Amino acid sequence: MASESSGRTFQEYLAHHLQNLVYGPLPEGHERKFYAKGDSSTEKDTYCQDKGMDYDGSKYCKETLTEDGWYLANNKTDVEAMGFWALNIDTLFFSILLGSIFVFLFARAARNFSLESPTKLQCFIEMMIDFINGVVKGTFKAAKNTLIAPMALTIFFWVLLMNVMDLVPVDLIPYPAELLGVPYLKVVPTTDLNLTAALALSVFVLYLIFSIKSKGFIGFIKSISLHPFGPWMLPANLFIEIIDLIAKPLSLALRLYGNLYAGEMIFLLIAGMVSINLAELTLTGIGLNLAGIMLSLIWAIFHILIVVLQAFIFMMLTVVYMNMAHEKFEQH
Amino acid sequence: MNLNATLLGQMIAFGLFVWFCWKFVWPPLLAAMEERAEKIEQGLKDSEESAKKIIKAQEEADSMVKSAKSEAKKVLDNAKQQADKIVDDAKNKANEEKDRIVNSAQAEIDKEVVNAKKSLEKDFAVNVMAAVKKIVAKEVLSTDHDDTIKESLNDFRK
Repeated sequence: MASESSGRTFQEYLAHHLQNLVYGPLPEGHERKFYAKGDSSTEKDTYCQDKGMDYDGSKYCKETLTEDGWYLANNKTDVEAMGFWALNIDTLFFSILLGSIFVFLFARAARNFSLESPTKLQCFIEMMIDFINGVVKGTFKAAKNTLIAPMALTIFFWVLLMNVMDLVPVDLIPYPAELLGVPYLKVVPTTDLNLTAALALSVFVLYLIFSIKSKGFIGFIKSISLHPFGPWMLPANLFIEIIDLIAKPLSLALRLYGNLYAGEMIFLLIAGMVSINLAELTLTGIGLNLAGIMLSLIWAIFHILIVVLQAFIFMMLTVVYMNMAHEKFEQH
Repeated sequence: MNLNATLLGQMIAFGLFVWFCWKFVWPPLLAAMEERAEKIEQGLKDSEESAKKIIKAQEEADSMVKSAKSEAKKVLDNAKQQADKIVDDAKNKANEEKDRIVNSAQAEIDKEVVNAKKSLEKDFAVNVMAAVKKIVAKEVLSTDHDDTIKESLNDFRK
């Protein structure tokens, strides 16, 4: 529905849904473009005049910035001009909101813990703690580290909650938000590479810290240089081990991102199929709509599996990496 | 899609969530759950112990009832013996009393009989004397027959 009513083509609809809400610095002299509403070019011109901007003659109103400042990006050119020091407001907002919900629920259960009369929430949380504890105890055997289990719990639940946002219908939140003046909104934080990369990098930093802590700095260097071929093949060892090292955060980040991004993309394609044909009350149109609704239901049911599985895999691999980090270096 | 400062923000957020979970969520929950597990284990142990105690108490009670029964039987037997003895004693005493009373009565009777005999004897003698006197007065002097009288009296006495 969004693609038709906002006057976008299907490609524009897709691109719009896959763009984060970015807030960042724009330099003086940067030309910003806004989508001009209206059917004819005269209507678009008056629309732009009302906003205090010039009409570019085709689809957009344009504005040239007179000073440096922080703005919400309005299109890809804006985002590219902002460079690294920009924030994806939507990712940050939804991820921190969901993380806070997780932390709040668990902290409340911990504070109101009752031995005699547990609430249903408490029972659920106990089950989850038990589940995570079992996984961590089964996998992480190298050493005693109290951080691993709570980190696994945080990763599992946070990622799970963020992935679950994927099951919310694709236009349910972005469309009203757009009517309220928010140009872009991506509600699934795990479809933003920034988030998955941040998680993977944090895990990687901890991996390095714990590796060096348990093996010693020399031991760590030895573990990446004298392995697997022995000291005579040191360059080859270094090459292989460094690739192995870098592959860890890379695979963590890209696996989660790729799975969720692709899932979201398919939801968008199905939604596009429904919305595009809504206006035509032909038999084909109605058929396509029904097929789209059925498809999105089937995909959503299948996606429940992916959502939970990806959260579990991310947690599991984190625990496995932490276990590897705590292993002592052994000369083979 | 390109990486930007969101990455750093998310790393900070992740660190904070993990830290919070590490400090305030995981330890109290795990401790509470372990406490519950311990409590359940203790409860099971306690209940097993009490079951054993109940069985033991049952056995004790049974043996107590048994000993009480035998005690009661003993007491009952004793009492019966005692009662029999008392009855026997009473019978004996009664018999003795009876014998005594009968004997004394017999003695009394014997005495009475002797007395009666004596008085009868006396009366008879007097009457006989009176009759004899009357007869004798008519026919002889009293002195004439004193010897005969005395002789007959002696016979009578015999």
